Amino acid sequence: MIPGDRFDRVLVVLLLAVLLSLGGLLATQARSGAGAVTIDRNLERDLAARARLAFFEQTYAPVLSLQAAGNDQQALMKLEELGRRYPGEAHGDILRAASLLRLGALPEAVAAAVRAVRRNGDYVDRDSPFSQRPVIEQLVDEGLSSLAEKARLAPGNATLGEALKNVYYLQSRLAGGCE
Amino acid sequence: MGRFDRHGWLILLAGAALGLAGVMLAAWGNPENSGICVSCFIENSAGALGLHGNERMQYLRPELVGFLLGGTLSAALFREFRSRGGSAPLPRFVSGLFLIVGCAVFIGCPIKLVLRLTAGDWTAVAGLVGLVGGVWVGLRCLAAGVHFGSGRRQSGGSGLWLPALFLLFLGLLFWQPTFLALSASGSGAQHAPMLISLGVGLGLGGLAQRSRFCITGSLRDLLLMGRRAPLVWGLAAFFLVALVANLGTGQFHSGYYGQPGSHLDALWSGLGMLLVGWVSVLIGGCPFRQLIKAGEGDADAGLAVLGMFAGGALVQAWGLAATAAGVPLFGKVAVLCGLVFVLVSCLLFRERSST
Repeated sequence: MIPGDRFDRVLVVLLLAVLLSLGGLLATQARSGAGAVTIDRNLERDLAARARLAFFEQTYAPVLSLQAAGNDQQALMKLEELGRRYPGEAHGDILRAASLLRLGALPEAVAAAVRAVRRNGDYVDRDSPFSQRPVIEQLVDEGLSSLAEKARLAPGNATLGEALKNVYYLQSRLAGGCE
Repeated sequence: MGRFDRHGWLILLAGAALGLAGVMLAAWGNPENSGICVSCFIENSAGALGLHGNERMQYLRPELVGFLLGGTLSAALFREFRSRGGSAPLPRFVSGLFLIVGCAVFIGCPIKLVLRLTAGDWTAVAGLVGLVGGVWVGLRCLAAGVHFGSGRRQSGGSGLWLPALFLLFLGLLFWQPTFLALSASGSGAQHAPMLISLGVGLGLGGLAQRSRFCITGSLRDLLLMGRRAPLVWGLAAFFLVALVANLGTGQFHSGYYGQPGSHLDALWSGLGMLLVGWVSVLIGGCPFRQLIKAGEGDADAGLAVLGMFAGGALVQAWGLAATAAGVPLFGKVAVLCGLVFVLVSCLLFRERSST
């Protein structure tokens, strides 16, 4: 667009002046670092994640000790107690899944893992500090090998059907995708 | 099949390139079966811009920026950039919004639908049935006189603003200001190297602009003209190359259960894609094609793109998007609202012959 009359030239001059001001503002603010005082969502999110991890490690430490000692029944009781204090907390559910799996309660373990993963997808992520992939992979492997056959033999059994559906959900989440 | 002319070969090349790039981008870091997915990319980018708060889906996808700007560069180089628009702008904006709703309920755009199929994901078949059905219904509507109107040549550079906005996005990609959100986990944290993604996007954008390649356009031509239509062969090339690439890179896992980024709600997969196919025919292209047209200066497509961003924000902010657990209630409601919108639009935009 070639400026025509005087009005056009005034507009072009004003445009150049504003563009120069914008460039100057960005350049000077970048040098002075004033822009860093504004939003830094990524820093806030990372701080929150670390605080959360530290909170879990402290709060669920007794549960982890009991699980490590093989006392899964007592670990489940401790999780019940923590669940009353922090209802709906996903971390309790994922730890519950691990104990239930070791106790042989597969459908219940899968259901607990599904509750946990639906609330916090970090449990299926490979690189997340919250990752619980080994437990979930074991749930899926055992679910596919035992629940699938049982559901096939009893097609009308709604409980088995639901448990199998949960296994497929975990399998899909482990496979990845946009979620 | 007949001999292909130059344009025909360009279409074949665009299809093949899309198939190869779609698989390789997943191999290089994009989410599984989502090497290219316009709807997922828009949801991620909307998150990066702060339009929704899902921390697992926040990344300004360089491929998206590349698609549009690649179209702009190609159009400018070949003197095809034309500022045009002015036909049913707001319905097109809302159409863009519902395009993303339909895609979010299926979990993928028409490009990702093909990529999922070629990766052995049989849950995508329901989406394919829906998409073909939607294109068919859209064609019936066009035949019955439904017409959103054609954009007119416009002075004032209206078609420049979407490319300008995406140039800003390009700047943000390199500048990485602190207000740009970036996922640390989830699918938003899975991405191919930025320069590769951008380069692939620019290349595909240019090819798509030259070839006019479009998934729903290919299905439309298949229904109208059968195998004679060059776009159909482009779609076939896309499918075959993606299939071979998936097999070659070990990303082919045949099955119905446990597929990445999919759910078992076949009905709603079909309905979501029905909505996408129908809307795409009425507004002249799938989500990918809207990006390319917007890059060429089509302001109507530009509004559709803005509507897609609004849709990308809403489906995440309101929890409308489907997940591996299935389709949420309000996702189903949103699809039905989309069907209401398209039905009402067909009634209002129909040119009836006075007899």
